[in-house]
Amino acid sequence: MTVTQQTQSDSPAPQAASIYQPDLVVVESIVDETPDTRTFRLRFKDEAKAASFEFRAGQFGEYSVFGAGESTFCIASPPTRKGYIECTVKAAGKVTGQLREVDVGDVLGFRGPYGNVFPVDDWKGKNMVFIAGGIGLAPVRCVIWNVLDLRDQYGDVTIVYGARSVSDLVYKRELEEWAARADVKLVTTVDPGGETPDWTGEVGYVTPVVEKTAPSPDNAVAVLCGPPIVVKLTLPVLERLGFADDAIFTTLENRMKCGVGKCGRCNIGSVYVCKDGPVFTAAQIATLPQEF
Amino acid sequence: MSDTKKKKSASSKAATPVTDAAVAGTASTADGSVVAAQVADASEPLALGEARFLTSEALGWLVEGLAAAGTPAVAPAWAGDAGRAAGGVGDAPETEYRVVSGAAELALGERLPRLSLKQFFLPPTEVLFSYKRNGADIELTPAQAARDTVVLGARPCDVAALPIVDKVMNWDYADELWNARRAATTVFSLSCKVEDDSCFCSAVFLGPAALKGSDGRLTPVDGGYLVEAFTDKGAAFVAAHADAFADLPDASANSAQAEQFRAAARERVAGNLQVDHGRLRDWLDHHFDDPFWASLGPRCNGCGVCASVCPTCHCFDIVDEPESVGSGVRRRNWDTCQTCVFTLHASGHNPRGDQNARYRQRIEHKFLAYPLKFGDVLCTGCGRCSRACPTGQDMAEILTAIDARAAEDAS
Amino acid sequence: MTELQDTARRLLDEGEVKVVIGWEEGRRGVRPVFVTSAADCDRLVFDTRCVHNLATFLNPRRSQVASLGKAALVVKGCDAKAVAGLLREAQIERDGVVLIGVRCGGVVGSPVAPDAPALTAETVASRCFACDVREPGLVDVLVGDAQPEPPGSGTLDERIAALDALGPDERFAFWTNELSRCTQCYACRQACPLCYCERCIVEKTEPQWIETSPHPRGNFAWHLTRAQHLAGRCVGCGECERACPVGIPLALINRKLQQVVLELYDYTVSDDPAVPAPIGAYATDDTQDFIK
Repeated sequence: MTVTQQTQSDSPAPQAASIYQPDLVVVESIVDETPDTRTFRLRFKDEAKAASFEFRAGQFGEYSVFGAGESTFCIASPPTRKGYIECTVKAAGKVTGQLREVDVGDVLGFRGPYGNVFPVDDWKGKNMVFIAGGIGLAPVRCVIWNVLDLRDQYGDVTIVYGARSVSDLVYKRELEEWAARADVKLVTTVDPGGETPDWTGEVGYVTPVVEKTAPSPDNAVAVLCGPPIVVKLTLPVLERLGFADDAIFTTLENRMKCGVGKCGRCNIGSVYVCKDGPVFTAAQIATLPQEF
Repeated sequence: MSDTKKKKSASSKAATPVTDAAVAGTASTADGSVVAAQVADASEPLALGEARFLTSEALGWLVEGLAAAGTPAVAPAWAGDAGRAAGGVGDAPETEYRVVSGAAELALGERLPRLSLKQFFLPPTEVLFSYKRNGADIELTPAQAARDTVVLGARPCDVAALPIVDKVMNWDYADELWNARRAATTVFSLSCKVEDDSCFCSAVFLGPAALKGSDGRLTPVDGGYLVEAFTDKGAAFVAAHADAFADLPDASANSAQAEQFRAAARERVAGNLQVDHGRLRDWLDHHFDDPFWASLGPRCNGCGVCASVCPTCHCFDIVDEPESVGSGVRRRNWDTCQTCVFTLHASGHNPRGDQNARYRQRIEHKFLAYPLKFGDVLCTGCGRCSRACPTGQDMAEILTAIDARAAEDAS
Repeated sequence: MTELQDTARRLLDEGEVKVVIGWEEGRRGVRPVFVTSAADCDRLVFDTRCVHNLATFLNPRRSQVASLGKAALVVKGCDAKAVAGLLREAQIERDGVVLIGVRCGGVVGSPVAPDAPALTAETVASRCFACDVREPGLVDVLVGDAQPEPPGSGTLDERIAALDALGPDERFAFWTNELSRCTQCYACRQACPLCYCERCIVEKTEPQWIETSPHPRGNFAWHLTRAQHLAGRCVGCGECERACPVGIPLALINRKLQQVVLELYDYTVSDDPAVPAPIGAYATDDTQDFIK
């Protein structure tokens, strides 16, 4: 007899859902950001859950495509906007590949919110510097809107965002919105060779563009996210510009499964990215073993 | 630990009862000075009520009775399989923990069961929930609940793993599946005679008669077992099956014999390994890039047998499994940090790209990260990893080597 | 085993190799060793406990071994066949490894013993049955004293014959019972020199050809697929079975397929890489009676 047979109950009585069982969410809308990236707007199917759900910027969820599996994405919509959550997904594997087939009205799963948070409350009154590369804009966008929705509580807002090419820029509509605002300084860039004839933004990798933009460190906080290489190269630039390493925040990702600190997969040394992170300061990252 | 408050006088040889924790709770440094180490459970509970006697025959009846009543009784049992064909691994017949229904299956105190008790609390595969599509909608049905189960005669190293893993399973989020099985299971350990020199329970704050996680304990005496209950659950089990238990034939002699058995076992295992855990942790925390890891990685196959047989390894994978068009299950399955794909990102990036890094992770998780987070070493010294490793990685040897380096650093 | 030690010392001193992969005395018996300095060559041993098939360490995916530099590998006759397999299948180059052949008269089933046990019909490993390779082929240098033939012990073939004599239902029940213990840990795969795939079929997710869950369906799929993938390639070293933590008699499956391949293609694994395996070659006069 197998172990599973031995430990199963004969009782047909319904059991309570465990922490591994998702809530059901309905796809309200889909935006195709780039050829391989989509943003899903999701609404909890259960109205009580929809009304009570809360989260804070920086947190992530485990999103299910039933039959394919679960995948980890940050919550890309800001906590200031109720009634829905968003995630932005790049097709890379089994679950994210299946998400390309999902339609409006389909039912997915959501577990969360998990992880620690960007301390946006502590940042009130500060000048905000947002830097992102590629799909790394997703978690940063959450903070950007969180701040812009409470605009008068924050100082200057500077955004430097770059992608490989014009078509790879995500949140194109929102980039236009931010560019049009007088209370936001937006610098967009594409990698050399990624520009189109009518491109009016910068051309260059994110790091030198940050250096050129030279945001002031005075009373400022930097929020940085992107491919590992962008983060690795941009951190020293920010330090050179005078940002203290506890004033630079990033969000790490690692392969995850449970999201709740039990499956043992996401740790970097003694730190579990799903519980002690995913938000870390540059100061904290400097103490981590180079295992990410 | 024997109950000093006995009605009959203890034998003149019985000194202050020596607990496994008291012996194991200190760790000698290389120069012999004793360093008070981090002790998870310094004081062991007193037995509840009088010790009882369970004859070997009555144990068989007890097991048969439980089976007849539909209560799974898990015990060490002779492995009922065909046996290896290519050539043996050790001479004695293999044993395993298994739900037993008859006395003839029982193998208490024989060879260490090849897997730990972990499979009864975190099964190799377990359904988390099932899903079913109804048109555009989906219905989820949670997993089955746990059944009342009894474990009889498990090794203390296997039993102690349970409260150790409880900690991660309840870190902020409660893992209801694990907790339900824990709540539904009553565990009686068996004082161990010590398997061989790969054991090192005493070096990780435990011992061959440790009570950590035990609802009760059996200790071999003439004719059967001296049985003590240490929790309400254990006492309730003894009371519920009172017919199986008898008065001790000669309480003082039986207790003395039991304590002698335990003392001899403690002595046997004490020499197998001694490390200074504080110093060990310190070394691990500061030698992430040490060339030492490159001396361990090459021999490792990356097979993860160590994790399979380990009582405290608990890493798992979560997968969806369609079973029919529009329905299926989500399962969690045993997994191990030793495989090359464990930390592989979809992008192709792998933070632990070779076996040196993966083997380091194993040691660091067990002896640095878990103690820092939860106060317990993630190891009970059962020695299975050393015995089961096809390429001869030896945990006691590795810990000794690290401790020696740590001692050098300190001097 | 001074001849072996001297050979190793010479190879290291002359810079022909950077590491000698052989066996040493560990705390519990014999185990693989990676000797990188001439001074450590004294650690090399060879006796009846030298069970391990060291060809596994030539897997190019084991970067922690490859990074040690060019290796000399100590091989018995059976091990040399595995190296031949790696050469035949273009996983390694012949001049990328130095092979030190040891004259072998058989090994016992387990490397765990304080001293080298005597070989008897009871203690000898099944793989040594009818082994006629006293001197491994393919090697660069041959060391050791001449050895007699291993004691006869046909138990593996006897057990297969007994299984073959069962009806299909009984045979299925036998394997259901044996495979019920499998936890799909893949130790069998990791121990096998010929299981060198960068991405094993069980790791492919789009689609999930083989379910990774250790239930009967998944376990049968895994073991039958692995057996098929090894047919005509397995050298019968039995390492898969030795690695298995729950004692599944995998040697029976692989030996059975060896018998089938011999019967169908008149082929047994050769230690000459130039001799093609049935899966990798055809002749115009191959039988076609499998086409019904």
